[in-house]
Amino acid sequence: MIRKIMILLAVLVAAYGVLIAVAELPPYGMSDNPVHNQVSERYINDALEDTGALNMVTSIVLDYRAYDTMFETIVLFTAALAVVITLKSDKRKERSGK
Amino acid sequence: MRILLEKLIVNYPYFFAVILFVIGVLTVLTRSNLFKKLLGINIMESAVFILFIAAGNIRGGTDPILDTSKPEAVYINPLPSALMLTGIVVSVSVTAFALSLIIRLYREYGTADARQIAQMRNSALKAADQAGRDNYRHPDRSNGKRGDKNDRSNQI
Repeated sequence: MIRKIMILLAVLVAAYGVLIAVAELPPYGMSDNPVHNQVSERYINDALEDTGALNMVTSIVLDYRAYDTMFETIVLFTAALAVVITLKSDKRKERSGK
Repeated sequence: MRILLEKLIVNYPYFFAVILFVIGVLTVLTRSNLFKKLLGINIMESAVFILFIAAGNIRGGTDPILDTSKPEAVYINPLPSALMLTGIVVSVSVTAFALSLIIRLYREYGTADARQIAQMRNSALKAADQAGRDNYRHPDRSNGKRGDKNDRSNQI
């Protein structure tokens, strides 16, 4: 119980710090925020010309950052492989290995 | 404090993201069930996604799908959405691997409770320690003292 209260207090203190940082972010939803810089402008203005896709997210994921997407599939494949290896590794083998 | 609150009301999606993140952290730290811990990690991931996607939003903007009939439309930032797609894939991979590890732990120990597993590991370690001490005991000192029996009891 005391442990839980200590955890709660520590997390709340940390959350207060994060909230101060979040409050200092540029105001939400404004079009002149630094997030909307020349990079996203370039994507919005030139995506159709560069990639031929109407959907800009699609053009970023599948064209501008195609390598990213390709290696994402490798990440997914590795995770699936790791899951299969973890679940299929036999108890009997381990015991005989010992 | 009041200025902070006013700024937080302006930045309310970020505020909600922080709250969600705190909920996730508390879930991870206070629950001993490993599945619930994993759920907390997933909640934290969702909080990060919400933070990023909210940062790319523009009030009154439209979806980043080109509409040639509306040349004056303001499009929201497509970059955070595209990046979070990568993040979601990583999150799914991590979740799958963690779930498989928890299933292995459950098969090995018969429980998915982190505290119980730690206790079982502790007692197993203690037993192994005791057996090792018995084996290494010198014949001349077979009646020697057996102190520090509880030296591992504080470990979690």
